[in-house]
This record gives sequence, structure tokens and C-alpha cells, in this order.
Amino acid sequence: MNSRSPIMVLAASAAVLALASCSSGGTGDDAGGSQDVTLTYTNFISNNGNEENLDAIVAAFEDENPGVTVDVTTMAYADYFTALQTDLAAGTVSDVFDIEYGQYGAYQANGVLAEVTLDDPAAFDPTLLETYQTGGTQYAIPTSFSNVVLFYNTTLFDAAGVEYPTADWTWAQEKTAAEALTDQAAGVFGDYQPISYYEFYKALEQNGESFLGDDGKAAFDTPGGIEAIEWLAGKSGTVMPTPEQGAGTPDFDSGLFADGKLAMFHSGIWMFGTFADMTDEWDIVVEPGNTQQASAMFSNAVAVSATSEHPAEATAFAEFLAGSDVTAQLRLESGWELPPTSDETVVADYLALGAPANRQAVFDSLENVALTPDLGERAAEVQDVVDALLTEVAAGRVSAADAAAQMAEQVDAILG
Amino acid sequence: MSAPTVAAATAATAPRPPERAPAGRRSGRGVPRAKRVGWILLFLLPSALPLLAFTIGPMLGAAWISLHEWNLLSPMRWVGLANFADQLGDPATRNAFGNTLAYIVGYMPLVYVGGLALALALNARLKGRSLLRGIYFLPVVSSWIVVALVWRWLLNPSVGVVNWALGLIGIDGPGWWTDPAWAMPSIILASAWKDLGFVMVILLAGLQAIPTDVIEAARVDGAGWWRRLRSIVLPLLSPSTFFVVVITLINGFQVFDQVYAMTGGGPDGSTETVVLRVHALAFRYGEAGGAAALSWLLFAVILVVTVIQVRGQRRWVTYA
Amino acid sequence: MRERLLTPRSIALHAVVVLGALVMLFPFVWAVVTSISPGSGLSATPQLFPDDPSIAAYQQLFADLPFGRVVLNSLGLAVAATVAQVVTSAMAAYGFSRLPFRGSGAVFALYLVTMMIPFQVLIVPLFVEMKALGLIDTYLGALLPSVASGFGVFLLRQAVNQVPRELDEAATIDGAGHLRIFTQVVLPNIRPAVATLVVFGFMSSWNAFLWPLIILRSPELHTLPVALQTLQGQYTTQWDVVMAGSVVSILPMLALYVFAQKYVVQGVASSGLK
Repeated sequence: MNSRSPIMVLAASAAVLALASCSSGGTGDDAGGSQDVTLTYTNFISNNGNEENLDAIVAAFEDENPGVTVDVTTMAYADYFTALQTDLAAGTVSDVFDIEYGQYGAYQANGVLAEVTLDDPAAFDPTLLETYQTGGTQYAIPTSFSNVVLFYNTTLFDAAGVEYPTADWTWAQEKTAAEALTDQAAGVFGDYQPISYYEFYKALEQNGESFLGDDGKAAFDTPGGIEAIEWLAGKSGTVMPTPEQGAGTPDFDSGLFADGKLAMFHSGIWMFGTFADMTDEWDIVVEPGNTQQASAMFSNAVAVSATSEHPAEATAFAEFLAGSDVTAQLRLESGWELPPTSDETVVADYLALGAPANRQAVFDSLENVALTPDLGERAAEVQDVVDALLTEVAAGRVSAADAAAQMAEQVDAILG
Repeated sequence: MSAPTVAAATAATAPRPPERAPAGRRSGRGVPRAKRVGWILLFLLPSALPLLAFTIGPMLGAAWISLHEWNLLSPMRWVGLANFADQLGDPATRNAFGNTLAYIVGYMPLVYVGGLALALALNARLKGRSLLRGIYFLPVVSSWIVVALVWRWLLNPSVGVVNWALGLIGIDGPGWWTDPAWAMPSIILASAWKDLGFVMVILLAGLQAIPTDVIEAARVDGAGWWRRLRSIVLPLLSPSTFFVVVITLINGFQVFDQVYAMTGGGPDGSTETVVLRVHALAFRYGEAGGAAALSWLLFAVILVVTVIQVRGQRRWVTYA
Repeated sequence: MRERLLTPRSIALHAVVVLGALVMLFPFVWAVVTSISPGSGLSATPQLFPDDPSIAAYQQLFADLPFGRVVLNSLGLAVAATVAQVVTSAMAAYGFSRLPFRGSGAVFALYLVTMMIPFQVLIVPLFVEMKALGLIDTYLGALLPSVASGFGVFLLRQAVNQVPRELDEAATIDGAGHLRIFTQVVLPNIRPAVATLVVFGFMSSWNAFLWPLIILRSPELHTLPVALQTLQGQYTTQWDVVMAGSVVSILPMLALYVFAQKYVVQGVASSGLK
């Protein structure tokens, strides 16, 4: 032992290490055929329940396009954008990948997205398509859309003898009904609307105001803007649970509605499935406005990477994924999010799907959409500032007027 | 401000004079220099190479990024030290460092005294000792997702157990995580609770390395429990204590998971810590350069604090 | 000594320690309860006795995830990382303690420095490096950053410093070299610290989330925490299944700890230290 040279031991270990790394480094690229193309697609839209539907879409595409194979990677929504940004930074992004409207502007401005030329633009809803155009050029294809409506529990409304909400309701009517329906002793709340940026820009539109002015500066430090802040923040602790009572805990709000403890709920149509089995009866209606109606619309889209080596095939796949009949049919049958189609028969099928009865409200809401303000690359910072100050108002630590002033100042500083 | 400072410090306080002559000379037993260097390389390279390649390397990469404006999407643009100036001038940075410091000041004493008490108690003769140790270790292995939800409930101002218990003794409990003044104490409590088991495990391993005959001898000499603790156990435990203090401080400065899960930095920014801000800058605000600069500022602070500890250890740490 | 168990002081100690244990146990119990309450969201006030307990969440966990594969991946990576960390850390600890050299303090400082920067800013440079090495989406890429650890070296160095040098000297007189002193004198005497590192090394790899998420893309390479995250949707989360996953992922670590700490006691009892 004593005589063994350390250098020998080192050399031996190095040899072992080298061997180990050789044997494990043997995973090379597949040497595909000369004209065969393998596309990569990274998505979050199929995660948590629709993986098999996506597989079916991919299989249908591969059938129609012999020689093209699509490798799908599915990630959870919560981590998707961290991974996507790392990939973009390192240059390892897939040929085709999912994006959200919120990031579209930043990605487009930084040249990450390839131009896409659609074979059949008429198959898509024109408003949705325009959302992903810059300077008249299409840079991404919408794959689905959702909007926010007012859910209401008809059983609770009947029990309290309150008239059901209608499409022409105003904030005042919603407030009166919410107060009548709230029965804190029984744990029943009249209303729930998240206190966040996404509700705020919409509430501003509903009150005839807007988040940004034509000069690109904060435009909400006005009496109408302050009223919108009071509308959003004032429900907490009166007709809506406070954070102490659970508001803000993940999925607390939807659980409350599903349990029949919430009369009205401002939420997205993605909740239909969650509420399908609840005991109480429920329906939806276009959200009340104050001086005018305005509804929030969100959409997911699919984009082709600017660095893709097979842009033509990638674009074909993206269009198929977003707009093919196969996709539309699968989405409808499985209750996956609504396809971005202009096809009247698909829409008619959707309306006939059953509960909630007033599915027409989903499309009526699209007539007055409050567009997400174009905040460019600093959008996330602005959102954080708005969320924090709205929470302060709801907690009663800052007045709505002071919050409007502080918010405007901070937003201008970020965007300035 | 660099490694050599710590170097001087660690070297100066080396546990005892090297029993062999320094490299470069021949020791009394005639070990040739080349052979000694060989041994040193053999023992250090297996850890040094991966750390250099996969931690120090990326750290230098981050330093490079800190000198650029980069949103991870477009090519980097050289801005020199502007990111550092921006971060230093940003009130959010001051707020984040202040919150982080407040966390450390509250958390360190709690977790150390609690962990020590636990280690002493579970080192004693107890029925079901193994099971109890396992139970106290449970929070350490639980994920923050679960723990944060539970603590939000325990510390709920209106329906939580803690305020209910305080009410029993006539105290009107605070608003905890809903109140900017009490949100950080809430996080401190939950963190100390979760990490007690970590400190316990390290100190238990240290306690078990203490020869029992030394303690028995003191007992025979009539030393009481407190006396034995102060003059025998604590000094013999000091290397473990030193380790715990250095590690919990390094980790404390980088507190992230619990804040992210419990308050997300709110209310009103009262719990936004440095790493929470680094995370937002890097992955939400598209400011990879700013995130890297802020990380290096944090690094400088941790380094200074660690150097001070390493320099101070000779006063109280005794090795066998 | 046996009668000491019944002194008032000992009874008080038992009472306090058991009471504390109940407080420690509570969140775990809560996770278990949530996991057997099907379809329940998270409420502000947990219900300790579910109305309609069911193991559906566990069945769904096994149905929704390639569970066997995912656990094997996690286990394989965690065992490999733990073994590598213990070996590399113990060797470095011996080197720093028994083979000091000019500048060894600086080198040790560098080891500590590796713990001082938030991992969030290392992700992108590390990922770029892995791309250059062709290790994206490979086990090796996930493993390499955790084969050595500053934490481990520091922990074991403190322990090696505590091993009396008289033992080395005795062995040297018997003709032992560094390798023999390391394996037969030092290692047996730092077993409690090694067992501690085994637990923490395993834990950090088993729980690792961010890096495996970034580097391992193919579903067949996913680790347990990454797979569990896919249970959370864009809009809603199945909390009973998430909690079931959390319970399942806690158990191996707990078992390892209970096993390791028994081993610690035996190790000390049988070593030359008494």
C-alpha cells in the first residue's frame, strides 16, 4: 500500500472516468433519411389531461405529411416559460413552440419568431388572427381562446329570491345582488373577483377609462379610474372573502363556487369542466360593465422559431395544430379550450354542448373585448406593481385615490 | 475582496500546525515533494474538477452576463458596470437587502437554540428516540408547497390556531402574513420550524462524536447539567456549531423557497428578499444582466460575512 | 442507570418532546388527509376527518405518471449523486485536514464560495456549457453538477479535523500510507458525519427541481419532482393528487434518515472512540 504511487492511482482513476464518459456519451443524433424531416414541438397546452388529444392531432398531421415526424415535449405551464427562456438564450429552442399573448410582443420585437404564411387564413377568426400580427405580418397562430364571464349559482339566487343577472347589468346591480346574497354566518359569499392587474385594465374599460393613454403613459389616475379601483378592492371583506378567509389561496375561489358557497364568480370559461359535476345549478352571463361593457379575452398561440431549419414544414404543422378540422373536432369533443375557428358549424356544435345553458355569452363577450394593454417588455413589472397596490387598497392600508396616484407614478417610471 | 482573504484567514486558523512540513521542503520522514503533490492532487481533484467546471465556471459566466444588458432573447449588449450602478441605486435593492437581513436576524437564533435543545433532548435516553428523531426530521424533507400552505393556515389572523391560542391567554394576535409588519416574522417562524431538524441532525452527529467517558468523568467530579453543557459539551461541539452557523448564514442570505411559497414577496414588498428579486429580474422582467449583478452583490456580502466568521472562529472553535 | 427513566425530569422531557413531535407531525398528517379527500380543493381551514376518504388520488398518480420509470430515474440520479458526493467530499476533507499545503486555505475558500451565489443566475451559463458538451437531455447532464459539493467537503472537513491525529500516527508507524489511513482510520471515525451527508446529499438530489426540469426534456428521463409538477395545470390543480405525490416523495427520504441515524449510533459504538 505504502509503496503505491499516488500518480498511478490518479492515472488509473482518470482512465476509469474517461471510459465512463465515453460509454455514456454515446447518444448521438439520429441519422435520418435524406428527405425525412423531424420537427420538435414544445408545448404546455396539452399538459394535465389533453396529452392524448395532442398525440392524435400529431398522428393525423404525420399521416397527411409522409416523411415528417413531430417530436413532442410537454411541460407544465408553471415551468414552461423558464425553460423556454433558457432555450432561447442557449439557442436550443424547438422548431415549434407555444406562447401566450402576454409574451407575444416581447418575443416578436426580439426577432425570436419566424414569419408564418397561412395556407387558409379564412379558417381562423379574424380578430384572433390579428392579435398575433405586427405590421401586417403574421408571427404566430392562435390555438385557442378563452374569455372571462360572470358565473352565477342559480340555486343560491333562487333561495335568496334575487333576480338572475342579465347581459345589461351594471356594477351597481351586481353590488346590490351581492349584498343580498352574502350570508357570512352560513359561509356564503355574494361575489368573487380576483384583485389583479387582469381585472383592473378590464374594469377601467368597463368604466370608460383606459390603462394607458395615447401618449403611452398611465391614464387611470382619474375619478373614473379611482372608481374602478374601489370597485375591485371594495368587495373584499364585504361580499367577498378576505385573504384571511382564504382568498388568494390556490384554487380557493373555484372550490368555493363548486361547493355552492359563492353566488357570483368572475372567472374564465376554462372552469366549465370543473363545475360540470357540482350539485347546485349554475349559468353564465356577460360580465356587467359600468358605463359600457368590456370583457377580457385570453389566447394561446403557437409560433415557429426564427432559427428553425425547416420553416416550411414547421409552419405547416403549426397551422394544422391550430386550425385543422381534426383539432377543432377533438377540442370540442374533449372539452379542451375553444378552437380559434371561424367555422359556424363548429360554433353551433359548441353552443349545443349543454351546461351552462347560456353558452352564447361566450361569443357575446367577444363583441366588446378589453384588449390587454401593450406594455412591451416591461409588462411583468407593471403587473407586479398594480397587483401589489390593489392588494394594499383591499387591505385598507391605502386609499383608492392614493393608490391610483402611486400606481401611475410607478408605472410611468417603469415604462418611461 | 477575494478568495485570498479567506485563504489567509483559514490558513491562520488551521486547527493545529501541520504535522508535516509544508510542500517544497522535505519532511523529517523524507517524503519527496512530487509525491506529496501527487497525493494532494489525488485527494482534491475529484471534487475540485466538477466544482470548477459546473459551479465556478457558470459563476464566471454570470459575472460576464452582469456586464451586459441582456433579455435572454436578443444578443447581449456591453454596458460595463451600469447594471451594478442600477441595482445599487434601486430602492427595491435596499428593500430586498433590508428584508433579507431582518430574516437572518430573526431566524438564526431561533433555529440554532431550538436545534441545539432538540439535539440535546434527543441525544438523551428517551423511549422511542429513533421514531421521535424521524418525526422531527419530517419537516426537513417536506416540500415548501405543503409547509407553506399549512403555515398560512396556522398563522391565519382570524381562524388560525396560533391566534386562537394567543387569545386563550388574553393576547390579541397580529395579522401575521397579511400585515406588512408581521409577514417577515411569519416566514421566520415557519422557516425555523422547518429547519430545526436540519440543525438537530448536524448537532446530533457532533454530539455522538463526543467521547462519553469525558462527560462521565465530569459527572463523577460533581459537575451539574448546566456546567457540563457549558464547559464540556459546547466546546467539544464547537466545530459542528461553527459549521451550522456558517451554512445557515449562507443559506439565510439566499432565502427564497419559503417566501415564494408563503407570501410571494408581499404584502407591499415587505418580504421581498434578494434572491426573490434576482428570480424576478432573471425570469420575469427579462433583465438577466441586472439579475447577475444583484447576485454578485449578494455574493460579496455573503463572502464578507463568512470571512468574518472564519477569522473569528479561533476564539471559540476547538478541534480535538 | 435504567431507573433514571422515571424521574420527574425525565417524564417532563418526554412530555415536551412528544408534544413537539405532534406539532412537527401535523403538516404531514394534513398532506395525507388532503390526499385522501377526493376532489377537494384547498380550503383555508383544513378538515382533519375527510367526509369520504378515498385512495383515488394515489391510483390516479400511478395512472397519470409513468410512475415506476420516474421513481427509478430519481432514485438512480440520487444514489449516483450521493455516492459521488460522499466519495469526493471525504477525499477532499482528508486532503484539507491531513495534507495542508501553501494556499490550501484559498482552495478551501473556493469550495465555500461555490455555495454563495443563487443558483437562478447559474442556470443559463450552465445550460450553455452542457449544450457545448452535448449533454442536454442526458442523465449525465443532470448528474454532473452534483457530483461534488462544497457543503459536503465543509461538513466532512469539520469531522476529519476532530479525528485525533494520534490515530494517524499510530497507523503510520504500522506502515500505513495515506490511502490506508484514509480508508481504515479516518473514514470509520467520521461515520456520523458521512451518514449525515448521505441523508442531505440524497435529499438535495431527490428534491432537485429546477435543474432536472431544464436539462431533462424527454418524459422518459423525468424525475419525480418534475413529473409531479405536470399535475398542476394552467388554470387549476388537482390538489389531492399533488398531496399524494408529496406524501409518496417524502417516504424514501424519511426511511433513509431513520436507517442512517441507526447506523450512526452503531458506527460510533463500534469505532475506537467509544
